[in-house]
Amino acid sequence: MARYGMVVDLKRCVGCNACVVACKSEHNTPNGILLTTVLEKEMGIFPHTNRVFVPVLCNHCEVPACAQVCPTKATHRRPDGIVFIEYEKCIGCCACIEHCPYHVRTLVLDNRVLYSDGKTTFEKPVAQKILNKVATKCDMCYHRVEVGQKPACVEVCPAGARIFGDLSDPASAPSTLVKDHAGWQMLPEKQTQPCVFYIG
Amino acid sequence: MLADREKVKAGRDVWVPTVCAGCYNCCGILAHRVDGRIVEIKGDPNAANSKGYVCAKGLVRAIDVHHPSRVLKPLKRTNPVKGIGVDPGWQEISWDEAMEISVAALKKVRAKDPRGLILSHFDIAGYRLSGAFGRAFGTVNMHWNRADYCGSASHPAWLITNGTLNSEVDFPNCKYVVLWGTQLGHMVNTISLSASSELSEGRRKGHKLVVVDPFCSNAASKADEWLPVKPGTDGALALAMLHVMVNELGIYDVPFLKGQTNGPYLVKPDGHYLRDAATSKPLMWDPADGCAKTFDTAGLKDPAIEGSFTVAGQAVKPAFQVVKDHLATIDVEEMARVCTIPIEQIRRVTREFCETASIGSTIEVDGYTLPFRPVGIDYKRGMAAHKGGMNSCFAIHMLNLLVGAVDVPGGQRGVNPVGPYWTAGVSSDGLIIPSDFIAKYNKPYPGRKASIPKTLDLQELFPVALFTRGLYPLGIDDPEKYGIPYKPEAMIHGRTNHMMNSHDPAAMAETLKKLTFQLSIVQFIDETAEFADVILPDSHDFERWDMFPANDPYAFIAPGPGEWYFLFRQAVAEPPGEARPWTEIYMELAERLGILPDIYKLGNEMWNLGDAYKIDPTKKYTLREIAERQAKTIFGDAFSLDTITDTSASILRKKTTQEAYPRMFLPSRVPIYLEYLLDHRTDVQKVLDTLKFDWDLSTYSPVPHWIPCEAHAHMRGGEYDLIATNNKVPTHQFSTTTENMWIDEVARANPYTYSVMMHTSAAAKRGLKTNDMVCVESKYGNYVGRLRVTELVHPESVNCSGSFGHWAQGLPVSRKKGVMHNALLPKPTLDRIDTLSGQIDQCVAVKVYKVEG
Repeated sequence: MARYGMVVDLKRCVGCNACVVACKSEHNTPNGILLTTVLEKEMGIFPHTNRVFVPVLCNHCEVPACAQVCPTKATHRRPDGIVFIEYEKCIGCCACIEHCPYHVRTLVLDNRVLYSDGKTTFEKPVAQKILNKVATKCDMCYHRVEVGQKPACVEVCPAGARIFGDLSDPASAPSTLVKDHAGWQMLPEKQTQPCVFYIG
Repeated sequence: MLADREKVKAGRDVWVPTVCAGCYNCCGILAHRVDGRIVEIKGDPNAANSKGYVCAKGLVRAIDVHHPSRVLKPLKRTNPVKGIGVDPGWQEISWDEAMEISVAALKKVRAKDPRGLILSHFDIAGYRLSGAFGRAFGTVNMHWNRADYCGSASHPAWLITNGTLNSEVDFPNCKYVVLWGTQLGHMVNTISLSASSELSEGRRKGHKLVVVDPFCSNAASKADEWLPVKPGTDGALALAMLHVMVNELGIYDVPFLKGQTNGPYLVKPDGHYLRDAATSKPLMWDPADGCAKTFDTAGLKDPAIEGSFTVAGQAVKPAFQVVKDHLATIDVEEMARVCTIPIEQIRRVTREFCETASIGSTIEVDGYTLPFRPVGIDYKRGMAAHKGGMNSCFAIHMLNLLVGAVDVPGGQRGVNPVGPYWTAGVSSDGLIIPSDFIAKYNKPYPGRKASIPKTLDLQELFPVALFTRGLYPLGIDDPEKYGIPYKPEAMIHGRTNHMMNSHDPAAMAETLKKLTFQLSIVQFIDETAEFADVILPDSHDFERWDMFPANDPYAFIAPGPGEWYFLFRQAVAEPPGEARPWTEIYMELAERLGILPDIYKLGNEMWNLGDAYKIDPTKKYTLREIAERQAKTIFGDAFSLDTITDTSASILRKKTTQEAYPRMFLPSRVPIYLEYLLDHRTDVQKVLDTLKFDWDLSTYSPVPHWIPCEAHAHMRGGEYDLIATNNKVPTHQFSTTTENMWIDEVARANPYTYSVMMHTSAAAKRGLKTNDMVCVESKYGNYVGRLRVTELVHPESVNCSGSFGHWAQGLPVSRKKGVMHNALLPKPTLDRIDTLSGQIDQCVAVKVYKVEG
């Protein structure tokens, strides 16, 4: 079975945030909720300084702390490696949010996409509508992956900084990149074994 | 991407190819329409400029269409008083009433003097249409917008050397890229998606990137080396590098200078070329025969570029020697002190650039042996928008020219100077001139004859400029002062926001109030539309058909190898309410004014319509019908717009090598010495004498100089001890994107986008810390914003992003977000205008202090 994952190439990322809004558009996430972001970290002392752009998303861990604490099994790891939330089963207890070492989960308090007039809502067809009072996070665009497409954030990236594929296949693009560039995972000491790797 | 199968079958769920107009780049996109509503955008994989990618700004535009603050009905002003914060008392009126009021006002202007009308928009695809409207109406005052903001000084530098409007770098082959006051390849600037893609590939391959910028922008953050130049001193840095290149390292491309430039043209002590008495052609020195020969003498392959000679008793030097001598006068250490980049670093970077240029190396391309120069410098508004902008641009460009890295593989390149139906020309002096297709009216070289202004932007006083649109407020406010023989009366405005993107809003308000009638065609009532007498609701560009192609091919087809692709913008959805495309509104106004047949006649000249596809001035056409004829002109009679269903791109053919890398195939030479400026200077001086103006024309120099900014003088010993500049972020474009709630969400999450940036040392000196509210104040205006103390900005500078800080009631999302750098700037004054290019200085001396909040 596949183990879907992603390599984020920090050398390529220019911090343009196309991935962030592509995700927002794809999932029509409620106001204020971003399922992926690009963190900016200022480094160094003038004039030897720069910003490092770090795209972050759900790590789709092989040993997901979130799934372990979910009382209703709303959060579970699919056979293809995607850590998934079934919104219908989620009771919004926030255990997963507290236990995720990466802080990539958000509690939805108002699931509307509401314009500035406070009345008009923006609706579009989505694979799984985000409900009220549930936890939400990146779903690796499972609905696209299932039909052979790349996640929205990967497809849109002009810099080619997000590379999606099957980590169980040693010849896949992400597997090769991890091997060739000594890819690393976030917070390895948490022993969650993320399926999102970084190279720089 | 989710599609409802039943709706797909019924045609209620479709992806429609079109072209984004969120900025000027014309990226091919696919818009998803479900039950008549646009719900999402994705890239068009078959559009070669965007390769299926789309930027953050483009993606979010699906929701703009549904913005509840869009203007849906015609409005008229009931309060005759105009001003910032004054309620116009909008009253909804019928379309006919709006038209009647507007047409009556326009007829009155036309009867008095048609030049009293100003057309004002920044919508690339609409220039051809509004241009024909303006000419048919009889006005010369067209396209008042801030295109000058980024390009007044840099476009001329490319037009006179690359023979085209825009510049790029051969990223796939360039091993040493320098981005100077630009973030090309970082989702900013032209050809943004393909350039970003190519530059990222290059970074992975180990290509080096150097960025010159006072702010550590996204591009500077990705650079191998950041040169944080003090704002406005780019020319000093460039001259220091040129001196190191020519007089310290002695590395330059001799065959290129001899064969491809005016470097061998002999120059007299007065600066003019030595010309052949019989033909007036410039002369070159032939060392083999020991005599001067005209530049186009067959067989003269090895003219002198160095030395001094005597021809018929006249002492002369080759132009390159004059340049070299000029550079020898540059005090490198002084220039280093001025620009604050250490001298050792200047020397090292210059050496790396020169050595990587691999002068002498060649590459085989499709059977041709071409020079391979894998270094290139691109430059734009950040370094150009200063008092000596054009001099600095040319100094920087000379670094490309002297190593022969222009329009050959690996180097800097102009965007398509040669195309399937246009090519660069050659002047009588043998130098490159752009095709009429690229710059028909304003060619910076050879230039126009200076004269007393007839145009409100005073362009007649800038005969070698491309455009001087930022100077409209001077002409509008004081036409008599400049000898303009009529009064500005009316403006048709839309898709540009003068109040936000120019200077001190209070001064701009006075300018707008001088106009007796303003028709604004807008989607939102922005700060400029608040001054309108009548408002008509504009459609979004997803709701309109445009002329063909949407991408002007000389500017918005990726340069270098590839294909000639033409993009078609079509309506994806119906406009809401009574909104209609501004282009159609222009046509309706024309019809009511009785000038539609004249527009069609002009269109037959201006719209690239083949003989078989000319339009009949006695008939009436939709824009789509005109587009169809334009497309057939390019693709042949069998072509139909009906076939454009899957991709917005139509491919004409593959580019030839001559089109991809034109330099070595062109019959023209490139100037490294701007002799033509001398005559223009004399002409301009005569006009200035007539007008009794005392302008500094030292900018008209054949060799480049560094000219300090007004801010540098103000800083000395004074109260105003920092220089304010602004930067561009990849999530925002113009002053419009802040109104998008998704982009606003991303921007608010970013620590810098809406902040005021100050260096740690400068903040400590003033007792300021992150999150303090501060006032940034110049002699002319101020803004108040939230401080971010950072190492990312030059210690003598204070920086902010974009042109934000809206205040219009009609812009609920963007109101009071971020700050407005332009509020610090005065209405252009002479010491803030580049007298060569008309570029306005955008840096200003300021003081910064804490305020409550």
